[in-house]
Amino acid sequence: MHAEVLTPEGKVFEGEVEQLSTRTAVGEIGILANHVPVLARLRPTALRLHMPGGEITRYAQGEGWLQVFANEAMVLVGECLAPDQLDAAQLRERVKDAEKRLGEAEEGTAAHGLARRDKQRAEAFLEVAGAGE
Amino acid sequence: MATRKEVRARIASVKNVQKITRAMEMVAAARLRRAEQRIEALRPYSGQLRRMTRNVAEAAGAEARNLPVLQDRENVSTVGVLLVTGDRGLAGSFNSQILREGLNLRQAVKAEGAEISYSVVGRRGASTMRFRGEELAAEYVGFTDRPAFADARGIADALIADYVDEKVDRVDLVYNRYVSPLTQLVWRQTLLPIQHAQVFGEGAEEEDQQGAGPDTELAKAHRRALWVYEPDPEELLAELVPEYAQLSVYRALLESTASEHGSRMTAMRNAAENAKEVIGDLTLEMNRVRQAEITQEILEVVGGAEGLG
Repeated sequence: MHAEVLTPEGKVFEGEVEQLSTRTAVGEIGILANHVPVLARLRPTALRLHMPGGEITRYAQGEGWLQVFANEAMVLVGECLAPDQLDAAQLRERVKDAEKRLGEAEEGTAAHGLARRDKQRAEAFLEVAGAGE
Repeated sequence: MATRKEVRARIASVKNVQKITRAMEMVAAARLRRAEQRIEALRPYSGQLRRMTRNVAEAAGAEARNLPVLQDRENVSTVGVLLVTGDRGLAGSFNSQILREGLNLRQAVKAEGAEISYSVVGRRGASTMRFRGEELAAEYVGFTDRPAFADARGIADALIADYVDEKVDRVDLVYNRYVSPLTQLVWRQTLLPIQHAQVFGEGAEEEDQQGAGPDTELAKAHRRALWVYEPDPEELLAELVPEYAQLSVYRALLESTASEHGSRMTAMRNAAENAKEVIGDLTLEMNRVRQAEITQEILEVVGGAEGLG
């Protein structure tokens, strides 16, 4: 199966993979060859590419989109960083900042929803950073 | 008249200035190239996003297109304006023309019967606006040399939240649009509400992407197959549309960065050329001073000889 990972800053990955696993708005998803056509909203998580050799490449993936069509998996994400590109201290800072805004914002407002999303993203990245060490 | 020593010292200092401005011109040229590449790198992503949007919009139906972020508000009481400047100066009129346009906008917004609320990108713009006693809703600094998508997303998400929470009823972007290293245009664009045409407008590349590539058995089967949407198309569309605002901000930041480097390159080239001219003038002056000194000495010798005779 052919996979391509694109961010607005450029291409992160393109090549053959055995399996691609990530997380959609509905739940965990694993894409193998011959999967039916999918279009899904991705949530921050660890994007895992299972290479033909058996090893797994991991990325911290922000919000984005997944499209699968005819053995082509296209991942569009705002951010896609290798574990060694992550700065754990900075991410903890971001979690703290988001928590503070979450506490200040009124429930049900867009500001509240934004703070929650920022918190989830930073936490997901932190998890990838921690597992990479 | 200045002495020869004084003139020589001035020539040396102008030569130094010339060296510095030449170096800055070269640095700006290198950064401009990188900034141009980053604008280029955005294209595949935005193209793919457009295709996905078309797919989702078809599946969701026309009803789902009436999203709040796509609707013009009838009563506009506050207009948010995001001014995109740079963290650094020495770039000709790059920063000042944005601030001038921003301040001029206040009149236009007042005429609409609304208040203006400024947000600023870049240290230069932020400090100038604060110095003028303007209240800033937000300032974003420290990344204009090399803006990341995460920076743009943060700005766009905050503006969208303000828009949805009805703190602002419209948001305009003001930035330097990059045309060429020599030309940058002050550009104003409505960011929110998101323009219908921007999302659903038929893109220039109307070719069917799924038709591209080898037409395998699987591709044929998939074209007949039903798509799996997670979550359903209506919800997908509601999340896809705000992404256009993020991309608009990102594009504006990238274009502004390219414009800044282009503008600085031009400013520094002009400065270096000007320095060359000044050096020429000063060299002429030095020759004149030297000639005057020689003439003076001859006159003294001749005068002395005559005195003896």
